[in-house]
Amino acid sequence: MNPDTFELFRYFIIFIILLFISGVYCVLVSFNLVRALIGVEILIKAVTLLIILAGYICDRVALAQAIVLTLIVIEIVIMVVAGGVVLWAFKYNKTIDPRRLSNLRG
Amino acid sequence: MVVLFILIPFVLLLVLNLPFKFLNARIAFWLSVVLFSTQALFVLINSLFAWSNYPAVLGQFLIFKLWLDPLAFIMLFTIAIVVLVSLLVARSTITTEKRSFNFINLLLVALTGMNATVLVADIFSLYVFVEITAVAVFVLMAIEKNKFAIEGTFKYLVLSMFASVFILTSIAFFILACGDLSFSEIHNAFLANSNIILLNFAIGLFLCGLFIKCGVVPFHGWVPDAYSEAQSAVSVLLAGIVTKITGIYVLMRLFSSVFVLKGSFHNLIMLIGVISIVFAALAAFRQDNIKRMLSYSSISQVGYIVLAIGCGTPLAILGAILHFFNHAIFKSLLFVNAAALEKKFGSTDMSIITGLGSQLPVTSVTSLVGLLSTAGIPPLSGFWSKLIIIIALFNAQQFTYGWIALLASVLTLAYFLFMERNIFLIKTETAPEGSDGVPFGIKFCEILLAAITIGVGLGFPFILNSQILQLKGLLY
Repeated sequence: MNPDTFELFRYFIIFIILLFISGVYCVLVSFNLVRALIGVEILIKAVTLLIILAGYICDRVALAQAIVLTLIVIEIVIMVVAGGVVLWAFKYNKTIDPRRLSNLRG
Repeated sequence: MVVLFILIPFVLLLVLNLPFKFLNARIAFWLSVVLFSTQALFVLINSLFAWSNYPAVLGQFLIFKLWLDPLAFIMLFTIAIVVLVSLLVARSTITTEKRSFNFINLLLVALTGMNATVLVADIFSLYVFVEITAVAVFVLMAIEKNKFAIEGTFKYLVLSMFASVFILTSIAFFILACGDLSFSEIHNAFLANSNIILLNFAIGLFLCGLFIKCGVVPFHGWVPDAYSEAQSAVSVLLAGIVTKITGIYVLMRLFSSVFVLKGSFHNLIMLIGVISIVFAALAAFRQDNIKRMLSYSSISQVGYIVLAIGCGTPLAILGAILHFFNHAIFKSLLFVNAAALEKKFGSTDMSIITGLGSQLPVTSVTSLVGLLSTAGIPPLSGFWSKLIIIIALFNAQQFTYGWIALLASVLTLAYFLFMERNIFLIKTETAPEGSDGVPFGIKFCEILLAAITIGVGLGFPFILNSQILQLKGLLY
């Protein structure tokens, strides 16, 4: 890995970093369970791009491809379950604002 | 042949969901009981080398490699026992036919995931199976649809997703640093000492993810909610084995035999362990619900395991493995006791069931066994593992941590005796004659787990020579 690599992938890396920042911002700022899920989703997308980049740099494209495909499947499964949970939370509480969902104390 | 541990539960899951009328919850229950007890018995009977020497015909169709060592063997045994207990408890606490069928299916998914987690040999497959287990458990937690359970599930889910993001980022850095994800390649990269900054960064991220999954103190917010609001059978599963396999086992495997660490990481892990021990023990005093108290106690005991892993000497890792096994057994026992109380009195709130526990003789005796073992009272199993951990700490010159670990046992004893006195020892009314109303399945689990606790404790010198010292040669 040499400095030229960073030169070559500069915009790719900047885009990944922007995605990370927007994902974290989305999770931290919004008071909405669905938006929190969307934020995590953006974060996972950023990580997926990072894995593709890592695979390309290390000349392990096949490995990165296998990982990314598996990752997409897993992510969808988790999102479906999470969506179901949010739906039930809405059914009981009539709100998806986490500030008004404080039945438990942690 | 190792692959059968993954394939058989999976095939059973498929078979149970074929569209035949006779496949009901009853058949599913008995098939699963047979499967789980077979797994436990196989692990007990077969020696390790008989297993690993078989020609792996089925294994060649898998894209991931499997490995089996004594550590994995102990894990497989623990998984089988706790899953069996959870199934038996569920039989009497989940009443609807359809719901109990769903429960068994999800339990099989979780079992497949956990067995595979124990057996895989590269980081990405490890992550995949951890995630499969976690998804099954999310649905299990929400199986009883009340608003508290849903909220606990959501907390666990979101935090677990953050842990996934950390772990995946660290996987990307491992690809950058090592070019491959199998344990042996990563270990070689550490030995070759190349790209050490990237590797350390990757380890740091991985640790953040794992700490969330373990539920140690700075990241423990989801643990009490998840454990206490889930259905009783699910909290046995969750507290007994799931968080331990998805968090502690991964930590133990990676940090004992894959990563080669520098001193600062050891110190960080040990510090986190000690903070968990003390903070969670103090927090347990303030709880008025048994399940919440047990959850905090669970965090505190997990702290001991993390502390021992952080210490990193072979003796400490040995202690960590033993404490893992013992903790899985006696924490399941205590959660089964809580399930019995909940089944009988409809509540686990200490102010409601004060003094009523004496009506349940089996429950009160076994809970005494469980709590004395947790606190580390000599003839029981918890004493030996804590003893090994503390000796290892003193051997490694970590006197402060050693003393804190020793004295925190007293805290454990204190809050458990407080609970025991409140629920079981005060007699408000005389117990009615005849059956005490606890279902046979729950009683059987209580007696089985208490027998294992006492048996391992009393037979420890024999087990030490024949089984446990085998472990030591494997860890370096």
